[in-house]
Amino acid sequence: MAKGNNSEYKKMIDKQYSDLMKHCQVQMEKIEKDLPEPKEDFQAVLKEHGVSRRDFIKWTSAMTAALMLPPIFRPMVAKAAENFSRLPVVWLHFAECTGCSEAFLRSSYPNVDDILLDTISLEYHETLMAASGYQAEQNLEKAIKDFAGKFICVIEGALPRGLNGKYLTLGPKGKTGIQVAKEVTSKAAAIVCIGSCSAFGNIQAAKPNPTDSVSISKALGISTVNIAGCPPNSVNFTGTLLHYLLFGSLPTLDSLGRPLWAYGKRIHDDCERRSHYDASEFVEEWGDKGALKGWCLYKMGCKGPYTYANCGKVRFNDAISWPIMAGHGCIGCTEPAFWDTMAPLEKPLDEKTYGGGEKTVDNIGIALTGVAVAGIAVHAVASGARHSGGKK
Amino acid sequence: MEKIVCKKEWSVAMRINHWAMALSIFILIATGFYIANPFTVSQGDTVHKFLMGHVRYGHILFGVFLVFLFLWRVYLAFFSRFHADWKDFFAWADVKASVEQVKFYLLIRKDAPEHKMLYGPMQSLAYIGLMFMVFVIVVTGLILMGAGYHAGFTALCYKILRPIENLLGGLAVVRYIHHIFTWFFILFIVVHIYMAFWYDAVLKQGTISSMVSGVLFEREKK
Ligand code: HEM
Ligand code: SF4
Ligand code: SF4
Repeated sequence: MAKGNNSEYKKMIDKQYSDLMKHCQVQMEKIEKDLPEPKEDFQAVLKEHGVSRRDFIKWTSAMTAALMLPPIFRPMVAKAAENFSRLPVVWLHFAECTGCSEAFLRSSYPNVDDILLDTISLEYHETLMAASGYQAEQNLEKAIKDFAGKFICVIEGALPRGLNGKYLTLGPKGKTGIQVAKEVTSKAAAIVCIGSCSAFGNIQAAKPNPTDSVSISKALGISTVNIAGCPPNSVNFTGTLLHYLLFGSLPTLDSLGRPLWAYGKRIHDDCERRSHYDASEFVEEWGDKGALKGWCLYKMGCKGPYTYANCGKVRFNDAISWPIMAGHGCIGCTEPAFWDTMAPLEKPLDEKTYGGGEKTVDNIGIALTGVAVAGIAVHAVASGARHSGGKK
Repeated sequence: MEKIVCKKEWSVAMRINHWAMALSIFILIATGFYIANPFTVSQGDTVHKFLMGHVRYGHILFGVFLVFLFLWRVYLAFFSRFHADWKDFFAWADVKASVEQVKFYLLIRKDAPEHKMLYGPMQSLAYIGLMFMVFVIVVTGLILMGAGYHAGFTALCYKILRPIENLLGGLAVVRYIHHIFTWFFILFIVVHIYMAFWYDAVLKQGTISSMVSGVLFEREKK
């Protein structure tokens, strides 16, 4: 950019942000008018958990930056956090292990994100609610009616399509997962798939997939926001909901439905071991000299080069660590069909095997080249005999 | 007495394209295998080492060369002023000629069948296969490039090619296909070089030198 244009450019950007800010303020007022009062006073809840005002402000800065917003948005992010529990949420469970819920709601070092999730206004959540049977069913129906067009439908788990969907039946009326999903999602303001199961099918959909499980978007033919990961990072979920509160719309998604602010770059692009990759310093064996020095895990099967996610930036458990920091390669859990495409998980891609688990693509390549060379040798000798002497 | 005449077979553009592609592909195979199976450099400080970085740089540099060489070759196939040879890639469609050609290769028939086109039937099949291989390796290569670099030409290509990445099943699959096709190139090269020498030896028309000089020798019978 030419120097003369710089102030012009800055003005343009400033204008864009001030417009965005106005939009944000209008949106926040609308939310305060339309949605029910917060169920809990967020500041009080934070105090209860021993999170100081200072910690909260630090978190606001981090979250604002993570959402790729400039610092002037910090107060708005703080306000959105306080309004977080206004947002009615219906949380559905299908073919899954509840690991995502567990990871979010039971972390041993709860950070602001986790506490935020504790305050979430769950109108329906099968694992957490007291009601069961017909009563639970009534709760769900009531929530969908009361908040039609306003609630966020969060989905954990894939949908099996086999046996007409009967591999998964729920509730006292024995509805199939697909039926329930259709009923609820049709009334929701937005559908957020949490975890790779609902986003992409995950292990249920891995080969040979006997129940014909697929992602929510594939089973219902709708578009969803996919917070991929097994389990995903709570920051990616809270950030997406905060974005919804701030702007009344979902964040920009990539072509697989993942929010770009969280899944726009590969693990490999933001990895702290990357300099060792470029320097050809690789761990060759678990616990070897390279491992002690924190070298790159590429040869131990790290799938960071094929995986879009922000684990290295936001980390897990109050940003204490993440898999590659802990010394194991990425297994690519935010990518579709990763159990199939990323296998073998602890070996580089080209060591995938065929034919009874013996031959890799390189073995086959070498064998074929050998056959070709041998064939050529035979052909050359035969040609020598056949075409000897004669002209042409 | 027999007179030997020179018949122009390959234009200058075609010959440059051929050898530039050959060089690029050899370098791409060598650097590609290093990227797939790198060896560790243990000596020295990290800050002074950049082997993988350099190899990737070389691979991507020649990869981009190959992209443009491929586009150039396709252009020549349709618009070469010397001989636009796109139709010759389909010489294999003539089944009878193909059968005769296979007989010749299997040494059942001794005299070479006349080619109605620039390439023999089997040759045309191999070359159209090669064009397909280059196309696949270029597309998968550009996807892998776009995954790591988000500006300019690369980003533009990636924007167009991302749906293909999703269709194939993600970067891991793209990378794996790229690796498998490397082997197809190796197999092609082995057979291609042998066939060039074989023709040279059997027909004695200077097949090998034709890709340098541009001419084949023909006996003119008087
Ligand atoms: C005959 C041509 C080529 C051959 C034989 C070849 C071979 C390879 C091989 C064996 C790998 C490693 C794959 C693995 O890890 O399993 C690779 C990686 C790669 N290739 Fe190629 N390649 C060719 C052309 C290209 C082209 C045309 C481009 C780009 C325009 C390209 C870009 C790349 C990139 C970006 C990577 C990944 C490197 C990284 O990010 O670490 N390649 N190639
Ligand atoms: S550890 Fe994995 S993500 Fe990190 S640089 Fe090495 S290959 Fe890339
Ligand atoms: S590092 Fe890779 S495998 Fe681990 S959580 Fe992140 S995306 Fe999933």
